[in-house]
Amino acid sequence: MSTLILYFHREWLLMFRNTGALVQPLVFFVIIALLFPFSLPAEVNLLQSIGGGVIWVAAVLATLLSLESMFHADYQDGTLEQAVIHQRNLPAAMLGKVIAHWTATGLFLSLFSPVLCITFNIPVDQFWVLFVGLLLGTPSLTLIGAIGAALTVTLRRGGVLIAVIILPLYIPILIFGAGMISQSEQGLETISQVYTLAAILTLSLTLAPFAIAGALKATIN
Amino acid sequence: MQAIHGIDKLPALQSPKIIRMTTPFTSNKSSNQNPILRADDLACVRGDMVLFENLSFDLSQRRCLHVIGANGSGKTSLLRIICGLNSAENGNVIYDGTLLGRSETARAEMAYIGHKDGLKNELTAIENLRFQQRLEGLSDENHLDDCLAQLKILRCADLPAQSLSFGQRRRLAFARLLLSPKRVWVLDEPFTGIDTQGRSLIESICVQHLESDGAIIMTHHQSLDASSISPFKDELILNESGHHE
Amino acid sequence: MNPFSIIWKFLDRTYHRLASPREFYGIAQYMTPIFGLLSLALILSGAYLGLFKAPADYQQGDSFRIIYVHVPAAWLSLMVYTIMAVAAAIGMVWRMKMAFVVAICSAPLGAVFTALALITGSIWGKPIWGTWWTWDARLTSELILLFLYFGVMATYHAFEERKTAEKAMAMLSIVGIVIVPIIHYSVEWWSSLHQGATVFAEGGPRMPSDMLTPLLLMIAGFMFFYGYALFLSAQNMVLNNERKSRWVRDLIQNTGDSQ
Repeated sequence: MSTLILYFHREWLLMFRNTGALVQPLVFFVIIALLFPFSLPAEVNLLQSIGGGVIWVAAVLATLLSLESMFHADYQDGTLEQAVIHQRNLPAAMLGKVIAHWTATGLFLSLFSPVLCITFNIPVDQFWVLFVGLLLGTPSLTLIGAIGAALTVTLRRGGVLIAVIILPLYIPILIFGAGMISQSEQGLETISQVYTLAAILTLSLTLAPFAIAGALKATIN
Repeated sequence: MQAIHGIDKLPALQSPKIIRMTTPFTSNKSSNQNPILRADDLACVRGDMVLFENLSFDLSQRRCLHVIGANGSGKTSLLRIICGLNSAENGNVIYDGTLLGRSETARAEMAYIGHKDGLKNELTAIENLRFQQRLEGLSDENHLDDCLAQLKILRCADLPAQSLSFGQRRRLAFARLLLSPKRVWVLDEPFTGIDTQGRSLIESICVQHLESDGAIIMTHHQSLDASSISPFKDELILNESGHHE
Repeated sequence: MNPFSIIWKFLDRTYHRLASPREFYGIAQYMTPIFGLLSLALILSGAYLGLFKAPADYQQGDSFRIIYVHVPAAWLSLMVYTIMAVAAAIGMVWRMKMAFVVAICSAPLGAVFTALALITGSIWGKPIWGTWWTWDARLTSELILLFLYFGVMATYHAFEERKTAEKAMAMLSIVGIVIVPIIHYSVEWWSSLHQGATVFAEGGPRMPSDMLTPLLLMIAGFMFFYGYALFLSAQNMVLNNERKSRWVRDLIQNTGDSQ
């Protein structure tokens, strides 16, 4: 547990001493979402009906973009190999790191999503549906994505490979997350999707740290 | 020549090319019965190149094993195999009677300083050390200052690592070794980019470590004869260049 | 000697024989023609019975006969992924060289079966649904499976060092096999949200035996074909991986001499 907190704390320190990188995913998230209205006919109804899905796709892409840098600096400066040598707590350490990474990406995106909802004319009572969905879904996105980031950390051009291997794995989260919005627009219950997203999150919280540790051990040499 | 212990069990014809391990005559018989670390029949392959094979040696306490070989002879790979970063093609590393790959406690007794310093640029010198110390479950602030003072970089304590010079960063990396007692230090080219004063500092902490029953395995492209480590020194010579399988 | 120890000894011996690339190469040498002939016989008889003997479907007419390619391919696409992930896990846990070879050789084969299932599904969809592509749950799952295969293959080829590539690819296939059921379930849920149940709902019309027998023959034939192709490509990979070792050089020498 203390390893997790130590790594979490260290990541926060690092991020706040490098604030430029901190806001990048958020800006990317907003820009992606705002590209859609430009590429579509200017109809309020259309924007409203696709808004939830667009925001979800933007969140997936913003998470994906931030993944490549997750382990890269640690690999370059050698702190990652130090972590792997003393690997008694490697999964816990990496979990702390990933959670910190999520607070700087997924959490920010979720908190910012109501603003995007306004631009897509999504009714106010749907805001929380999107917010809860993102809050439950984005940690899984980051955790699963971190496996891909760990697998590709030693590669010079790992970015495209991360996308190829990780995006198919994101589909369930996208389906249930975006499904929540369309369900609630039709006035249907969304609690089953909330449970499913929570189940996926539980699964990724328990298994992904071990997969990340295994991937790092396999590729760092 | 009594030189080659640890290698005598190998078939004579298979290994003349590679390893010559010379050990000073004295001080061995007693300590070798109980080596801290034993490499048993190690082999390392990169792509199609066999960097080394049938490599066996012992590392006893109070000894410093100097790994010698040309570029590309597998020195760095050997060190990384010993601390468990790379996996060997064949053979085992045995620490205190247990297989290194299986035992997390054995790994925790290793300290590795490689080509990369393992420092975070955005953190100050003392924060870098403090993080390592807390990971070991210790929290003695005064000891952090002591470590920095021993390597004469106490005045840099509150500077971010990125504003330190190369030599200072290197010293900071070595300060990490003093944080907690580790039995085996694995040092890859420890003296690169360090001035004379820094070098003698690092040599002195190495001697200190050896005198308190530690062991060191290191690579260095020059002879250690002139250094203060030389009384503790054994040599392991890897062959000039790899050969094909 | 009790029967368990006999079985254990047998398994132990088989394991060691299969684990050694050289032994594997030898076993594959005489297994390949057996698998090849069996698959040829099964596929030919299955195709004959399916195309000429089975009655036409009362709704779909003769167009249903593509089922004899589509269903086996879809079956194999999932089976091969499972085999790949299990082999990868064996390779990771027991450091068995041959397990990685089996996993890596399975990936392109699985991808081909998946692509075949997609193409035949799409051809079948044209007369039945009136469109080449529909976001049917099974088709969509197959498509995602194809991308998973691509990811595994891309990972293997991204690394220069073979051992790293093997481990990375194995990690990804293991992660994939955990997520495949979730993907399948989520796509089913999603597709039921968007459209009614498809023609092939669960507990749908049962198949008469003269339609079913050729299908089973075809599935068995496809499985043996997979085994045949796997042995062939695994043999190639073993030769390439072990190209510096004495037995491969002797083998190549002897083949050269005899020609």
